[in-house]
Amino acid sequence: MYLTKEEENMLSGNMGYAVQKSMEILVTIGEIYNAEKTIPVSNVHMPGASIVAAGDAGSAFVEEIAATGVKFKAYTTLNPAAIDFERWKEIGMTDEHARKQKKLSHAYQSMGAILNHTCTPYFTGNLPRIKQHVAWGESSAISFVNSVLGARTNREGGPSALASSIAGRTPLYGFHLEENRKGRLLVRVSARLASVNDYGSLGYYVGRICKGENPVFTGIPTDVSIDQLKMLGAALASSGSVALYHVEKVTPEIRSADEAFKRERPTETLEFGKEELKEASEDLSKAQSGEIDVVCIGCPHNSIYEIRDIAELLKSQKVHSNVRLWICTASSVKSLSDRMGYTRIIERAGGIFMCDTCPFLAPVKEIAKRDGLKTLATNSAKLAHYARGQCNLYPHYGESAKCISAAISGRWD
Amino acid sequence: MPEIVLKGHRVVKGKAEGEAIVTRDSISFMGGVDPKNGIITESGAELEGKTISGKILVFHSGKGSTGGSYMLYDMAKRGTGPKGIINIRTDSVVAIGAVMGNIATVDQLEKNPLEVIRTGDYVIIDGDAGIVRIRKT
Repeated sequence: MYLTKEEENMLSGNMGYAVQKSMEILVTIGEIYNAEKTIPVSNVHMPGASIVAAGDAGSAFVEEIAATGVKFKAYTTLNPAAIDFERWKEIGMTDEHARKQKKLSHAYQSMGAILNHTCTPYFTGNLPRIKQHVAWGESSAISFVNSVLGARTNREGGPSALASSIAGRTPLYGFHLEENRKGRLLVRVSARLASVNDYGSLGYYVGRICKGENPVFTGIPTDVSIDQLKMLGAALASSGSVALYHVEKVTPEIRSADEAFKRERPTETLEFGKEELKEASEDLSKAQSGEIDVVCIGCPHNSIYEIRDIAELLKSQKVHSNVRLWICTASSVKSLSDRMGYTRIIERAGGIFMCDTCPFLAPVKEIAKRDGLKTLATNSAKLAHYARGQCNLYPHYGESAKCISAAISGRWD
Repeated sequence: MPEIVLKGHRVVKGKAEGEAIVTRDSISFMGGVDPKNGIITESGAELEGKTISGKILVFHSGKGSTGGSYMLYDMAKRGTGPKGIINIRTDSVVAIGAVMGNIATVDQLEKNPLEVIRTGDYVIIDGDAGIVRIRKT
């Protein structure tokens, strides 16, 4: 890989251990993927910001780098943490979880990261523009930034995102190159997609078939909402490793499906009708018992519009005494919810806000074991997909109105 | 015992040998594997309930969570990770985790490793040369 004089200098150790280690990581990745050189990046979204995702080894690595006093070159936002910094006791996290997480978050902050732990940084001010090269982690956010915004990122893991924040560079390969952004697989949607979770079902179904290939969708309404696209991308990235999708007449990089394929034929054409929608939805519901222990809305983190809808459904209602209703969002979105009066309605009904974290990145497996929690209802295909493996909870999956009804009745019917 | 030698592409240097465990699935090392014991936890996965710890793990590619890089590194540090990795194509999240954890990794072999290698075969990875040797059992 070609390195500039400055990069050679960074790699030599003359600019300190953290810069050297970062360049080592970026050069190693660049060589694996035959990158010809690096390109500058000024925007990073950092995965591995939770102690659950970083593990002891990853946390120690980040803290060791931070201890050198290095500062981030790139504007850097953080993925969810393992705790809600205000309500962690109420949710069931331990003193040890809180201590370890605060230490890790502080390490990131000391290097210059913005302390708003969220998987939807595009709702809270990190909004790359079309064709901008960035280095983002968080599979759902990667698919959003590549597809909906048209910016360019590879699937960055924690160490490479950290290296890019410090070095202000990323190797030029993969989704940074025009030729890797074309459509590969055509998906013709004929099913009527109504709720956000229908888009999750679509993403879950297609992700499993197309693995990492870029899908191109036709038949999706042009008034599809930002939350629906968020759910589609999150599910595509969970069941497959999709980092980029195109939607005819919706996403900014293409004007038509034909243009997305650059005059090549699709490798495969899938039909997504009523039957496929039903199949995908049933596949995501694994729980046997009708009793619900946890209901979670907000994977990826809720927008203010989704919180408004939850508040509407919970007006003058009470969450069943056996159920924990978790509403996950960014802390800055919750501030807005406070101002709008939604928080009061949700908390009065017995719902619990989980800010800066989520069941996937919090130590929910430990909480479930300790408190005997077995089942979870959610409107998120991503969370339903990971619930057993990551949280040891059996998922029920359906639209948010159904999830809220289950929270009130204590049963999934 | 006949030995099959396949040439491929070096992802992470180093040498590793051991018993192979093979799946056609892609793997998310965050949310799909328990880092404490290396057991695959993804619901419905071909290897659900089986351990990858100390094995030569042969799988399609990485998928899902970008937390997978630190999780693979964490497993390598704990001694619960795979000894070596063979992929059709190694995705960036797995590659970065394998680099950090010094797990010898090879991809793009001249023949499909998911067809040539069976679970239980003895496999030797030479990451430096990008070569895999397979002893059928």
